[in-house]
Amino acid sequence: MPSGESDAQSQPGASSVRYEETTKQYPGAGAPAVDKLTLEIPAGEICVLVGPSGCGKTTAMRMVNRTVEITSGDVLIGERSVRDREPAQLRREIGYVIQQIGLFPHRTISENIGAVPQLLGWKKDRIRERSAELLELIGLDPELGDRYPVQLSGGQQQRVGVARALAADPLVMLMDEPFGAIDPINRERLQNEFLRLQAEIRKTVLFVTHDIDEAIKMGDRIAVMREGGRVEQYATPAELLMAPATEFVEDFVGADRALKRLALMRVGDVNLWEAPLAHVGQATAEVRAKLAAPDVEIPYPLLVDGERRPLGWLSERDLAREVVPAQADSPLGPVLERDDVMRDALADLLQGESQYAPVVDHQGRIAGVLSVEIISMFLASPEAKSDEHSAVERPHD
Amino acid sequence: MPLASFSGAFEFIFSAQESNVTGGKKVGGFDKSLELLIGHIEVTILALAIAMIIALPLGLYLGHIGKGELFAVGIGNAGRAIPELAVIALVATLIGIGMRNVAPALAVLGIAPILVNTYVGVRQVDPAAVDAARGMGMSEMKIIRKVELPLAIPTVMGGVRGAAIVIVATATIAPLAGVETLGDFILNRNIYGENGLLAGAILVALLALTIEGLLALLQNRLTSDGLKLKTV
Amino acid sequence: MTSPLVVAAGEVGGDFFRERSSDTLPCQAQETHLFCWDWAKENLDRYGTPTQQHLEIVLISVLVGFAIAFALALLAHRTRWLQPPLLTATGVLYTIPSIAFFFLLLPVTGFGRDTAIIVLSAYTLQIIYRNTMLGLNNVPDSAKDAARGMGFTERQILWKVELPLAIPEIIAGLRVATASTIAIATLVVLISAGGLGTEMYGSNFNFPTAIIIAAVIIGLMVLAFDLLFLTAQRLMTPWRKARPT
Repeated sequence: MPSGESDAQSQPGASSVRYEETTKQYPGAGAPAVDKLTLEIPAGEICVLVGPSGCGKTTAMRMVNRTVEITSGDVLIGERSVRDREPAQLRREIGYVIQQIGLFPHRTISENIGAVPQLLGWKKDRIRERSAELLELIGLDPELGDRYPVQLSGGQQQRVGVARALAADPLVMLMDEPFGAIDPINRERLQNEFLRLQAEIRKTVLFVTHDIDEAIKMGDRIAVMREGGRVEQYATPAELLMAPATEFVEDFVGADRALKRLALMRVGDVNLWEAPLAHVGQATAEVRAKLAAPDVEIPYPLLVDGERRPLGWLSERDLAREVVPAQADSPLGPVLERDDVMRDALADLLQGESQYAPVVDHQGRIAGVLSVEIISMFLASPEAKSDEHSAVERPHD
Repeated sequence: MPLASFSGAFEFIFSAQESNVTGGKKVGGFDKSLELLIGHIEVTILALAIAMIIALPLGLYLGHIGKGELFAVGIGNAGRAIPELAVIALVATLIGIGMRNVAPALAVLGIAPILVNTYVGVRQVDPAAVDAARGMGMSEMKIIRKVELPLAIPTVMGGVRGAAIVIVATATIAPLAGVETLGDFILNRNIYGENGLLAGAILVALLALTIEGLLALLQNRLTSDGLKLKTV
Repeated sequence: MTSPLVVAAGEVGGDFFRERSSDTLPCQAQETHLFCWDWAKENLDRYGTPTQQHLEIVLISVLVGFAIAFALALLAHRTRWLQPPLLTATGVLYTIPSIAFFFLLLPVTGFGRDTAIIVLSAYTLQIIYRNTMLGLNNVPDSAKDAARGMGFTERQILWKVELPLAIPEIIAGLRVATASTIAIATLVVLISAGGLGTEMYGSNFNFPTAIIIAAVIIGLMVLAFDLLFLTAQRLMTPWRKARPT
């Protein structure tokens, strides 16, 4: 098993998971909770099981680490059946994150993180090292390692929960609505952090949620389930949004599919328009000339500084003067970056009172202008309809 | 010394025996047993009543206003540790013998569990229920009577039962202070003999269990059905 | 006429109201005196043996009671249906007044320390059993769920998660059990088992000073054990001091 060094993370520390006609039948119940589920999750990917409550997604996930026993069929991790060893042994190789977190109140954060390594018999030094490493990985102050769970906020606790699951470098991670008990603001932050983490460590993750938006954001692949654990569609988020396989999937994804797609895009993905630029002290006659040009896309000049950083929009009144003033009449409104998620950008645009939002690069220099029109034009274009966004490019903070 | 036997004890309870210790005079028997039983019950009820009259209102009040936790719990802990023998002995030597002196002393022993249990029981009542009652316009007294007390009954009755246990137990040695209870059989072996000793023990045990059973029934009656539905 | 010392040694069998020899108790004449300091100073050492006996009986009884009650609680924790009957059984034992209990065992174990220990242990069962069950039941389900999913065996969950978290309740039960055992043990003198009760009656019965001293020793014993348990709990549960930030 790879140790906690950074180079180990580029090695395949992940296995595929395969369901083979996996069934769970509770005695006395009518229909099986999970009926002959067959699904393959490639190594290193996040597979989200999503569906209405009671559809069997949690049951299906729990059959992987046998916290729910399989009635018939099998689950294979790599090429090994989960049934060929004792449940306790099996579970020590699988990371497990639950909604209520379940940190041990009587152990420090470090000890919590080191729980499974301790079960596996690691040496104390190694455990301590690993805990510190993981604390850093999840973005927490290493000094928190000596505190107790009650001293941490909910968001911090859940991060520790994730760290704890990663401690023994498992082949597979199971996450059952892990961010469900967190407030929406922190939830988004945690989701982003986890995606950032996953980009580094590339674990095979089985993620259960009832929230389709979370599924689209987090999943490389999504399995939309209905009662009995029946998979209505198993596809990438883009596929799901563009081509829902059945009416159930369509309903579940929601009527605002098109808007949801915007969550998969970044501002830089579209062709931005250009606004005529004006510098402080420039003769306004020059600017007016630019505006009069036949191919101008945006009828308002953008005031920029010497570094081409946007300062404001010039109005008619500004242009009536001799030279371009240092301060523009109209404020900039929201300023976007190329990396921003398109959906957030649209929200900003709609909230701000300007029709156009300047888009800047990492140095703050103008790169183009975005408008609502641009977005809708793009969505309607044939290019957008066939475009498949690869799993690797996940928008995140 | 002939070892007592259970059959001998039962005989002792019901028919007067010829005592082989005091020589000749008959001891024990049904009348005597009944007399002592009644004496035991009397002092128990009296002491329990006094304890309840003092501790229940105090506990309810303190619990209601939420103050005095240290006091209530402290008395509860202290009361648990008071040796019964010391209480009886001190009463007999310092205050005087007889029912008038012993009953209050026993009551003191019973105050501790009733006070602490009543306090805790009231504190544990769902604050939301009290808040709602207050919002509806109930007076403080009404809140105590109609909301807090009913909801606290299980815990409060637990305290009363605890008090009953310790009072019945201490009443057993009350003969040392001049009050005739079943303990007489136990403490005066030279008069009543081995059988009497055992008889006394059996009767005391049965009495205690009966009182405990009755109080349990009472608790069951007083606990509203809604509370009973809650699984422990 | 036997001297008070013989009584203290455990010879029980005579009438309770025995006559006292006035020359062994100098303050006897002044019966209105609440506390006789002279006598106290002179006779403090006679409390040595009874105190030691008392301590021994208490310690053994609490240990035996704890061992039994703890084992029962662990059993009941795994086998749910045992819980109500065990609760009732231990409760019944607690209800029977100690004196009655002592003498009920007469035909079986007779006089002496063994009977005392049996009865005193029986009394501790209810509170220790109940508190242990309470402690175990109060362990958050999420911690157990997480532990199970991480690969802890049931036994590991019990010893590494549930019991440590139940410690405060268990120790609370021990505190109460010990306090009441110390109190009830004053009665074992009636079955020739010694203890501080010997200083509370017999020839001392109408002598307040002796009784008060014995009672004070008992009080100190209770306090000492209480502090001991509290300290133990503090040491064993460092996480309870942490306050949410």
